[in-house]
Amino acid sequence: MAELVHADRALARRILGGDEAAFTELFGRFFPRLYRFALARLPGDPEAAKDVVQQVFCRAIEKLDTYRGEAALYTWFCQICRNVIADQYRRRGRTGSRVVLLEDLPNAREVLESLAAPASAEPESGALREQLCRVVAATLDALPGRYGEALEWKYIDGLSVREIAARLELGEKATESLLTRARESFRDAIGGMI
Amino acid sequence: MQPEMDVVATLIRSAGRRVEPPQDAYRQVFVAAHAAFRAKAARRRNAALTLWAGAAAAVVLGVALAMRWTSPLAPPAELAQVARIAGAVEVAAGDGWRPLPEAGARLAAGTRIRTRPDGRAAIALAAGESLRMAPDTEMVLDAPGRLYLQRGTAYLDGGTRPAREGIEVVTPAGTARELGTQFELHVAATGLRLRVREGSVAIDHGGRSVTGLAGEEVSIDTFGGVLRTTIRPDDPAWQWAEAIAPMPDMDGQPAATLITWVARETGRRLRYESPLVEQRAGSVILHGEIRHLAPMEALEAMLATTDLQVALDGNTMEVRSRSHDPPGL
Repeated sequence: MAELVHADRALARRILGGDEAAFTELFGRFFPRLYRFALARLPGDPEAAKDVVQQVFCRAIEKLDTYRGEAALYTWFCQICRNVIADQYRRRGRTGSRVVLLEDLPNAREVLESLAAPASAEPESGALREQLCRVVAATLDALPGRYGEALEWKYIDGLSVREIAARLELGEKATESLLTRARESFRDAIGGMI
Repeated sequence: MQPEMDVVATLIRSAGRRVEPPQDAYRQVFVAAHAAFRAKAARRRNAALTLWAGAAAAVVLGVALAMRWTSPLAPPAELAQVARIAGAVEVAAGDGWRPLPEAGARLAAGTRIRTRPDGRAAIALAAGESLRMAPDTEMVLDAPGRLYLQRGTAYLDGGTRPAREGIEVVTPAGTARELGTQFELHVAATGLRLRVREGSVAIDHGGRSVTGLAGEEVSIDTFGGVLRTTIRPDDPAWQWAEAIAPMPDMDGQPAATLITWVARETGRRLRYESPLVEQRAGSVILHGEIRHLAPMEALEAMLATTDLQVALDGNTMEVRSRSHDPPGL
């Protein structure tokens, strides 16, 4: 975590210094994740999610010199995103109740475990399925570096270690270590979320 | 196989691939965020320079401190002035937007400006170019010679001054570099459309460059496909830009100045009936206020009090004498 925050502080400094490559790197890494973060809280309104993310980037860049590295930069962006969404609810008096996320439910861990169980005989409701997808996506988004992509390549695309290594431009040993760390991070993060 | 590993794999497989944001959302947000990034970096550079200058001045001119000199942060460079607006036009302020009530407002680097569905704007850029914004258009005035067109339609008239630096218009679908010209850019979710009225424009997109010449309409779709068609310089499609054209102050100017300006604004060739008529147009002095009229209306209104008139012949605007006598006699 300390390493990540150190790297994030360096990235923020480069952006403040006008480094185009640093900005592009940050945007490429954060845009899809923040879009999903916003869309989960503004369900069925991709236009609003896009507007929120645009505001988040503009506001975050404006305030970037106040980022002190107490948390990961993505966490800092997510907090701004929460504030922007809260402002939007207040200002526009959005209809309907605010979205309650799985991690806010008291029995979240049980729900998640039952959904994750491969031989579960319980019928899965569409709403719970959606919540599962969102929590897993949010967990993958919150992982550092390219852990999320590596796990998707392994478990969804079924790529071999060699193929993942080629995509990451790493050796096979380093890729195996990365996958191990990614799995551990995923378990820790999803445990933290619920 | 370890059970814990199974849980990780099962969860990820059950959830499936994460949702990817739409490509046009990516592009739109990128343009806005990039403009914010550049504006921030520019302000920090200005502030650093000012502080450095302040420190240097403090060393060399200690007396100035005694005279309560303070170091102000340099304001962002002024890039443009609003020449004309119609309907609702707004500029970004904090997290929201505030209406731009009238022409004359000065716009600094980093200004984000948008026209509402009923709004249009004409903006005079610092180097003399004229920028027009169609309804429902959003732009950022990023830096001298550089604009962002985030959505909608913009028209740029680079003017006729020689050796002028071309303007760069960045859009989510590519970057247009003006090469001395009048042109229109339209950004849509499906791609980018360029219409060139005069001169030429180069568009860089996805590592390729496409040049549009006068009379061409070039459409570039999101997959990089390029379609070329033609568009006449007096096609009705240009009329929205003519209607918001900022009228130069013609009071006290020769009629020839207005005639030349109207011909350029309406994309027409100019022809005089005879050298005598041309000479007359150079000597008749105009008086009056025509700022809120469209170019052709303004020309007709002004010439109504003179012995000159215009007739349209296809793409040509001919200036004639009203009488059969030599003009001015």
